[in-house]
Amino acid sequence: MKKRYIFIINILIVGLILFIILKYANDRAEESNRASIASFEKMTTTTEQIIANYLEDEQHLCDIWSNYINRSAEAGTPMTIEEAISYIRKAKISPEISGHLIYIDDGSMTGISTSAKSTDPSDYSVRYTNINIFDNLEISNVNGVVNLTRAYTNPLNGVQSIAFLNNVKVLDDETGEMRQGLIIRVVPVSRLEQKLVFLKGEYEKVEISLIDWDGDYMIHGKSLKNSNFFEYFKSYNPMTTQEYNNVVDTIRTSIGSMHIRNSKNEDSVIAYSPLTGLDSWFLVAYIPAKELTVNRSIDWILLGIVSFGLVVLLHFNMGVLLNYNRKLSVAAEAANQANEAKSYFLSTMSHDIRTPMNAIIGMNEMILRDSEDEKVIGYSENIRAAGNTLLGIINDILDFSKIEAGRMEIINVDYNIASLLNDLVNMVQRRAEEKGLSFELNVDKDIPRLLHGDEIRIKQVITNILSNAVKYTNEGRVIFSVSSSKCQDEPDHILLHVSVKDTGIGIKKEDLDKLFAAFERIEEKKNRNIEGTGLGMAIAQSFLNMMGSRIQVESEYGTGSEFSFALKQKVVEWEPLGEFDLAYKHFLSERKAYQVQFVAPRARILVVDDNEINLKVFVSLLSETKMQIDTADSGDACIALFKRNFYDVVFLDHMMPDKDGIETIKEMKECADTPNQKTPVICLTANAVSGMRETYINAGFDDYLTKPIDTNRLESMLLSYLPEDLLEQPDATQATETKTENDKKVASNEEKSKAENIQSILIVSEDVGFLKRIRARLSGRYNVAVVKTEEQALAYLQKQEAIDTERREHE
Amino acid sequence: MNKSINKILSTTLITTLILAMAGCGQSQSQSQNENNNDTQAQEQSQDENQDKASKEFSPKLPSDTEYKLSVAGTYSNFESLESAFERFYSHYPEGEIQYTYLDDYSNTIRQAIVGEEQPDIYVVQPWMYGDERYDCLFESAEVLSTPELEIDLDCIRTDLRWEMNNGEIKTLPIFATSYGMLVNMDIFEKEGLQVPTTFGQLKDTCEKLKAAGYESPIMGANTSTTPGIGYAFAYPMFAKAVKDDRSIEDDLNNLEPSCGETMRAALTRLAELIDSGYIDVNKCAAEIEDDYNAVILRFFEGDVPMMLCSGDVVSGTKKRESKSEAFEVNPFKYDFYVAPSGDDGGYYMDSMSLLFCVNKNGANIDMTNEFIRFLTSEKELDLMAQEKRLITPTQDYSLDEVYASLSDFPAERTISFRDTEILDTAVKQFRAAAYAVVNGEMTVDEAVAAYGTLELK
Repeated sequence: MKKRYIFIINILIVGLILFIILKYANDRAEESNRASIASFEKMTTTTEQIIANYLEDEQHLCDIWSNYINRSAEAGTPMTIEEAISYIRKAKISPEISGHLIYIDDGSMTGISTSAKSTDPSDYSVRYTNINIFDNLEISNVNGVVNLTRAYTNPLNGVQSIAFLNNVKVLDDETGEMRQGLIIRVVPVSRLEQKLVFLKGEYEKVEISLIDWDGDYMIHGKSLKNSNFFEYFKSYNPMTTQEYNNVVDTIRTSIGSMHIRNSKNEDSVIAYSPLTGLDSWFLVAYIPAKELTVNRSIDWILLGIVSFGLVVLLHFNMGVLLNYNRKLSVAAEAANQANEAKSYFLSTMSHDIRTPMNAIIGMNEMILRDSEDEKVIGYSENIRAAGNTLLGIINDILDFSKIEAGRMEIINVDYNIASLLNDLVNMVQRRAEEKGLSFELNVDKDIPRLLHGDEIRIKQVITNILSNAVKYTNEGRVIFSVSSSKCQDEPDHILLHVSVKDTGIGIKKEDLDKLFAAFERIEEKKNRNIEGTGLGMAIAQSFLNMMGSRIQVESEYGTGSEFSFALKQKVVEWEPLGEFDLAYKHFLSERKAYQVQFVAPRARILVVDDNEINLKVFVSLLSETKMQIDTADSGDACIALFKRNFYDVVFLDHMMPDKDGIETIKEMKECADTPNQKTPVICLTANAVSGMRETYINAGFDDYLTKPIDTNRLESMLLSYLPEDLLEQPDATQATETKTENDKKVASNEEKSKAENIQSILIVSEDVGFLKRIRARLSGRYNVAVVKTEEQALAYLQKQEAIDTERREHE
Repeated sequence: MNKSINKILSTTLITTLILAMAGCGQSQSQSQNENNNDTQAQEQSQDENQDKASKEFSPKLPSDTEYKLSVAGTYSNFESLESAFERFYSHYPEGEIQYTYLDDYSNTIRQAIVGEEQPDIYVVQPWMYGDERYDCLFESAEVLSTPELEIDLDCIRTDLRWEMNNGEIKTLPIFATSYGMLVNMDIFEKEGLQVPTTFGQLKDTCEKLKAAGYESPIMGANTSTTPGIGYAFAYPMFAKAVKDDRSIEDDLNNLEPSCGETMRAALTRLAELIDSGYIDVNKCAAEIEDDYNAVILRFFEGDVPMMLCSGDVVSGTKKRESKSEAFEVNPFKYDFYVAPSGDDGGYYMDSMSLLFCVNKNGANIDMTNEFIRFLTSEKELDLMAQEKRLITPTQDYSLDEVYASLSDFPAERTISFRDTEILDTAVKQFRAAAYAVVNGEMTVDEAVAAYGTLELK
């Protein structure tokens, strides 16, 4: 995982923790708020009860006054208004409370007071005509309940007051009639406010208000503006009429609390409760919301500490992570070094073994070509067989190295199934015969002849299976069966069924798992005489996996085994293979002697190698092509020749003392005074480990050829790089009846030389099969050149131009 | 590279955390300061604030002084004053000022001013002066012009600065008022008309409006009160006539019948409007039930080009915008103009609406004077007038654009309270005469002849 992802995940985790803490803190704060608000509501309820009790007490005192006056009337000794006021004056204790007695039966609303007017100490008259505090009260019958007026201005002293009422009957001393009067106990609002100061409890900023049904204040705190609470609420809390009415109804009908905005648009809380015993009075306690949620800051401090801790933890984690990463880097470096050591070992092994093998196999090839002594030829064949086995082992190791490195690629081409079977049977039948085994071949005659797939890897897989069958079968037979069936879902494909059955030693069930493990050999001790690396089946399975198949094994220990697989292959030509035996025999007859693919007496090539034997092998192998071959034993010698002579192709060894191949080609590429600027340079190397191809191409080589040199590959490579007009048909005696495509190409060139007017066509396509088909179709009429890439096309054209120029100069 | 990433991530995380936590405690003042730096407009605003800052109130008493003040007044609701309290609290936070509406104010204030709970500040009206029943109010009033109090009375318009006979100033005008008309500016714009400034233009305009389908281009409350049709349109012209010939003032106040002629010009203009059908009195009577609330709500219906009224009526418009469904659906621009009753233009009655006196016997006289010193500034008085939507007593009419037309009104057609001394009895005669003419109960000649015997309905 990339470091930045780890950082991001760390930060996300920290963020998540912070979020959870915030959520927790918020929940706690909300819980705390709810508790605070509940406590505030409780305080409001308590205050309401105290106020209600106080108001009831005041009303009770008023009732005592009225009862006393009314009892006198009932007793037949009614009081006059002056006597009643005189009684009240004596009965009341508090000087700030006054009593008014007014006549209501004539609507005059006038009477006298216990206190004189503040402007005239001798005037006790009182008039309520212009003070409309009785509008909503049934003043003619106010017995039994608290009868409280709104806050009003005492007409005698201008003090804001509230009044408690009751009815009295008094004697009109002028007329001698009983009259209906109203006794008013007038209490300054400030007296009530003073009481409220002691009811605030723990809330310093609470403001207690009393409002009537319409919202008009009896008393109110300084934060509640307006003369009407509902108006105030509406002014600073915009809402629809329906919402507003709901709020008003809620306050009028229930006990509770709500958040409101005050005149400064600050969040505030009001708790409300109806005054018990009074129909239309309500207590509203106001407090700024921050006063109730003051404890919330503690949560922020906690959050800060936790956040700091998490940051420290994040740093610590990152430190640990970086330290761990450093260790991992060291380990990775060590692993890389080990891998490099392995690569170096493979390279060295490949090079050091292939170099002498080149000489052995090359020279042996010459013996096979030149010797007519059957005995010598027999020895030589043995050398070739042993050499091929050794090369197979090396190739297995190199293949496995490529698979491990992920550099193995499946390269699909059109191939002839007969040719593939020929190679396989030829390889295995000889070994089977040497061991005295019967090799049976069952080839379905309906297998399409031309298929599309990776011929080399398929051959390698089957070779491995067949080789194992031969190796692990001491007596009996090996049956090689190949058949095909059509794919139902893909009509242009077939499933190629391959099976190899033997009567060998078999495999124990418990050993089946080891079969495809690299470097694992089953029953090592028992089979120690059998050559092999333990890589063959692992490589075969890997190849098949890459091609979408896998090996199935059925084995009975001591009796034999059957290895099989089914491989999907695209059909190029549905023409059936026919009787393979005939074809095979025909093939064998073709294989008996080496046949040179072309002759090019006018071609001139240069081969560079520090090993003198290798130079001899190289020259000998190409002797029948009749090319002019110059040799050089060092990089410097190569450069000297490179500057002096024109060559059609240069073969340059990689591993050379003093100046190796890569240094040499670098110098060659920088060289301006040479006729070989367009000449292809092919790396000749014994180093065949994975990744070397890219290395050589990047170094400037056009291609590379591994040692030991396979004559066929060498000649094929020359065919593709030599100018076509230099190629000639080999002598008729050397020519085979069945021309290969290269032969056809040579023949075509000859025809071209005979008829110079024939036109040339250069075809560019990545599809090799397509190129082959096009060339087969057009080669009779045109000089056809095929390349896979645009770069190759340009190189071809430039080369042609250079050759033409050079040739004209020579001529 | 790794260290750099580590540092960047750590720094970002820590910075985010610090900013988040700091953000929680960010003060409003900080955000205001930040906002002030945002735009050029705000820079200009800052400049203006700086100008005002030079005149900013500077407390003379310790800011932690504890106090409790009371203001007694005639308004049942005085939110603009309560807003001023809030602003004063920013200088003296350890106290409380309470506004109290006194029932039956004209009677109870006299008791209150010598009672046990005397208000520290109380309201007086110009008409109270000279009435011996209210002498106590002026006797109890602090002399605000005393230099030691450092009250900036110069911010008050000269016409409204009320000097007693001895030159002392005992009252602080809080609001001014006038008489004229509310004009629906959208109708005038729609009809392509200019607001008329002379009586001739008024008639032309009314003619065009009638032609455009407005049955009664001018409306108003059909009452004999001061916001009513007759008084709002014609009284300023009558007052101007008295101002121009003050020799008749005594006879006028003594209700000499011959002084009825003084009313003629104003009543004639009024009658002309009625007779021309520019004011449909029956329609007004039917659709406008009272001289305040109904006037505003009818005007907000949106189909009345001109609505005669007083400044006090205008003060109720702002709150009633949201109470009028018609206005909420189709809001329109409206302004207050002097009614163009004269040939050269209308007459602007620059009247005092509300005056404050400081109770020199109050328990908190020092803090009360501080509050009055705080209040006596162009800024505070303008803010209060703007919130109350009454006419400011200062020179600057610009704060409320409804009254913008009064700015720079020609002095020769302005009548202030000091230009005339028409007693309330004479005023009532005019109100009765105007009402009678408006309702066709009397001709102009009859009303003029009946001066002194007219009865107010």
